[in-house]
Amino acid sequence: MLRYTPLPMDLDVETSTHDGHAVLALRGEIDVYTAPLLRQAILDLIEQGKLNVVIDMHEVDFLDSTGLGVLVEGLKRVKTREGSFAIVATEDKILKIFDITGLNKAFPIHGSVEEALGRAPAAAESPEG
Amino acid sequence: MTGSQSEPDRGAPELAIEFPRKPEYVRTVRQAIAALARLHGADEDVVEDIKLAVSEACNTTLVPVEGPGGSAVELMAWAGPEGLTVDVLDADAAFDHAVAGPPGEISTDELPFERALALPIIRGLASRVAIEPRPEGGAVTRMILSLEASSG
Repeated sequence: MLRYTPLPMDLDVETSTHDGHAVLALRGEIDVYTAPLLRQAILDLIEQGKLNVVIDMHEVDFLDSTGLGVLVEGLKRVKTREGSFAIVATEDKILKIFDITGLNKAFPIHGSVEEALGRAPAAAESPEG
Repeated sequence: MTGSQSEPDRGAPELAIEFPRKPEYVRTVRQAIAALARLHGADEDVVEDIKLAVSEACNTTLVPVEGPGGSAVELMAWAGPEGLTVDVLDADAAFDHAVAGPPGEISTDELPFERALALPIIRGLASRVAIEPRPEGGAVTRMILSLEASSG
């Protein structure tokens, strides 16, 4: 039986503001260990009155149900304050978990931050589906 | 999936990990199971599915338990014709009463929201999954995870 030591936390959160939207750029893994860091970052934004939030996950390598729970909580909090909450994700491994849970219907999911901010049109769907 | 007593003897697991019931250890377990999947030729998309399913099974063991609790969690994995069989043994049985049952009939009604998401995710990724009480106490989550990419 092997015994392992824990690895260091692997999630970077960077906040910026664009066109009245707070953009949280995430890099690393969102799991049961790191999700509280994301939760706090979202709560901080809401406390500052930044209610139009874009979560940029295009550099996220892993997302689990705990991370999804934090995103749903963030969505609920800004929606009750008439804000907006959008996701940017392009990796299949991240999009898949939204699909499996049906939460792809709850979140606006965009292919880029530019698209989420309304600066670029949504990517056209492939004719092949 | 039938009870564990009718399962074939799988011999010694290829991977056996014992880890504290703490969030910071789940990533280490995830990396270990990913290494085993790669060793058996799984491509990276499949490795990602296996990592997620195993992480979710580990997450369920982190649900606070009544009483002193605190036993270590054990994970064992075997490779076979069906893919990877992964057992997550939880001696503190966080939810054996709530969600034991065949796939498709597992109830998540009693679990907090994010915990309730874990089982549908596992079901979406595993060929088979069962959560069963252990005679010696606690519960085991057993998943069979394909090492082949799905054709869909």
